[in-house]
Amino acid sequence: MANDFRLPPKPNRTRKRVRNIIIALVLAVIYFWAFSGVIKKIDWSFFGEMGEKFGKVIPRLFDPAWEEFEKVFDLILETIFIAYGGTLIAAVLAVPFGFWAARNMVKSPIWNTLGKWFLILDRTFPELILAILFVISVGPGAFAGMLTIGLTAFGMLGKLYAEVIESIDMKVVEAMEANGANKIQILFYAIFPQVLPEFLSFALYRFEIDIRASTVLGLVGAGGIGTLIVITAANRNWEQLGLIIISIVVVVMIIDFISSKIRKRLV
Amino acid sequence: MITFKDVSLVYPNGTQGLKDINVTINKGEFVVIVGLSGAGKSTFIRSINRMVTPTSGQLLVEDEDILKLEGKSLRKLRTKVGMIFQNYNLVNRSSVIKNTISGRLGHTGTLRSIFNLYSKEDKMKAYDNLKRVNMEEKVYSRADELSGGQQQRVSIARVLTQDPSIILADEPVASLDPPTSHQVMSYLRRVNKEDNITTIVNLHFIDMAMEYADRIIGMRDGEIVFDGPVSEVSDKTFEQIYNRPIRDEDLRGSEENETSEQE
Amino acid sequence: MKLPNKNKTSENESKIYSVYPKKVKFQISIIFAIVLFWYFYSLRATDADFLELFGDLDVVFGKLIEMFPPDWSYIESAIDPLIETIQIAVVASTFAILICIPMSLLSANTIVKNKFIYQTFRNIMNLLRTMPDILLATIFVSLFGVGIFPGILALTVFSLGLLAKLLSETIETIDTRQLEAIRSTGGNIIQVIWYGVVPQVLPSFISYGLYVFELNVRASLVLGFVGAGGIGSIIDTQLNFMQYQKVMAVLVLLLVAVIIIETLSNMLRRRVV
Repeated sequence: MANDFRLPPKPNRTRKRVRNIIIALVLAVIYFWAFSGVIKKIDWSFFGEMGEKFGKVIPRLFDPAWEEFEKVFDLILETIFIAYGGTLIAAVLAVPFGFWAARNMVKSPIWNTLGKWFLILDRTFPELILAILFVISVGPGAFAGMLTIGLTAFGMLGKLYAEVIESIDMKVVEAMEANGANKIQILFYAIFPQVLPEFLSFALYRFEIDIRASTVLGLVGAGGIGTLIVITAANRNWEQLGLIIISIVVVVMIIDFISSKIRKRLV
Repeated sequence: MITFKDVSLVYPNGTQGLKDINVTINKGEFVVIVGLSGAGKSTFIRSINRMVTPTSGQLLVEDEDILKLEGKSLRKLRTKVGMIFQNYNLVNRSSVIKNTISGRLGHTGTLRSIFNLYSKEDKMKAYDNLKRVNMEEKVYSRADELSGGQQQRVSIARVLTQDPSIILADEPVASLDPPTSHQVMSYLRRVNKEDNITTIVNLHFIDMAMEYADRIIGMRDGEIVFDGPVSEVSDKTFEQIYNRPIRDEDLRGSEENETSEQE
Repeated sequence: MKLPNKNKTSENESKIYSVYPKKVKFQISIIFAIVLFWYFYSLRATDADFLELFGDLDVVFGKLIEMFPPDWSYIESAIDPLIETIQIAVVASTFAILICIPMSLLSANTIVKNKFIYQTFRNIMNLLRTMPDILLATIFVSLFGVGIFPGILALTVFSLGLLAKLLSETIETIDTRQLEAIRSTGGNIIQVIWYGVVPQVLPSFISYGLYVFELNVRASLVLGFVGAGGIGSIIDTQLNFMQYQKVMAVLVLLLVAVIIIETLSNMLRRRVV
């Protein structure tokens, strides 16, 4: 009895199976390609020197050079300013774009999709690419960094804003329209009160991300602590690198903490 | 046989869930626990498979004190004691058969269960039990595609697949409409009679309790305030258990009540 | 240019809230003043001058035009580093995805009831997340020397923090009643996870995995600048030689690669979610 028992056959099993097999095969090929490539390129000789290197570097990392604190702190402050200015540019710039990309605000679907695409396009740009373009065009310095952060952050904020706007209660808008309010009045009395807390909350969240992102900009000369990180490592000044690590971790933690507290109160 | 000996339970926040419970439930009985919400019905039922752990007393299931069980032996107890929930608690994104066969988990090795290597007998058991609750048409449907009544029937099949000697049902019909409620209760009743499985059901509907139970236990504030066969129960008894007059909301209504099950 | 714009918003701001009590209005104005003050302060501190920027637009564009036309012949030597970049991203994402599974289970309070354990893992996760990619890459390069191995490590750790946080938050929002049911059948913890947790979080998990891969492709650009492999290194070199037309060619190549990868990953994501 038990031996000839079969569950009823699964519906459209073959199609699903073929699909799964194809996905599995593609993944296997990608993995084989990636891992074999990487393994070939890794210079395994570091294994031999590892112990010696660790012994040289790690103790010095844990012995931060406090005397350099002022220099490091100044650059971290600059990093924060870059992130702050950049996020603010993005937060303001993202408002009109958010409305453009929100389905319930733009009547023409083509025009609306265009807005969405524009924001997607902006999000695809890696920030270092933009940073390079800005450094070349406006010259090296924190200003280039701020523009970079502003332009990269606004793509994500625009998308998030659009989602917030799409989720608002349109009944209020209709009621205002029925009252004979004009477009600007509706915007300020019906829509902004509903979306502002979330807009601010997302902007703060993006600020947390931008703090991290601004540390990278220094690599291409767009200001912030990045330049010092590279120079410090190149000079094998591990005590100073230790100080930088601690400072960044502490500053990021504090900012994350404050920002998440504010965000909790906002929403 | 299930025996509570001076069982009490105090939750970490200080709420007393059970107060000195002393009761014996015999093999094959169909017991309905009634009481208002917060009376301790759920705590009572969940003590039996140790989803909650009483803080004092002895609780014997088939002559074994289950309050001391841990790890493997606790899981072994749970394979013997099946549980049905108010919200069906099926894994929504899994198929009906996968949900049903998860009743065998306690009997199956970890690796075998991860790779879906169930024996033919287990698969047959799961399928047979789906047939018993008339759900064999939907074997490969996803659980969240089913209506509430169908989901509860699948969860009965899941419990049966465990081969339990006891079934606990915690408000199994509270989320269902009257006709479906009766359907689910009839399945439970039938399983109880056919397989001689001790069945303990929490209900707050008086009429359903009267219709399906052998024996009724009334609870209030963590204590048993009534215990006796259905024949001894009258409206007065319920007013005494609930400590207030009976209201319409305490009744589920009969099977003729025309609210069709939503598909 | 920015200035009049700002003032207009602040004016309107008070108009929106004019329906609110005086106290709220006052608070809003204060917050706004602080935000603006910081903004101008940071502009000053970073020597940013928008007016000058718009005044010198011709200079700016003139510099940009130096990058055109891109030196397409250089693309040939950028292909190998690009492949290396993608390979690093694949490998690092894989490691991160594998390690994040136990990590996120251990830091989700729906699975681990012991407060000490999940708090510990949550703290480790948060610590990881405070480290920017550049810092991790620098640390690993200083520990292991120049090469792609420290690059892989850096990206793994970098994406691990993010991935584990996303996944553990998802695990914390699952329907625990479904786990309860599996537990009531006598399933052990691994069976509860496999039968109760996995079906609930799998679609989000795949989606996060793809997201982290995309992120790693972009982040691996950073690696080359600190000697941890990938396409960044040739950009760095050409920038230092001020070979802007070559830089532009590499940037275009990279952008195309990023767009292709994101399109593919979006297609996959739509399939599974």
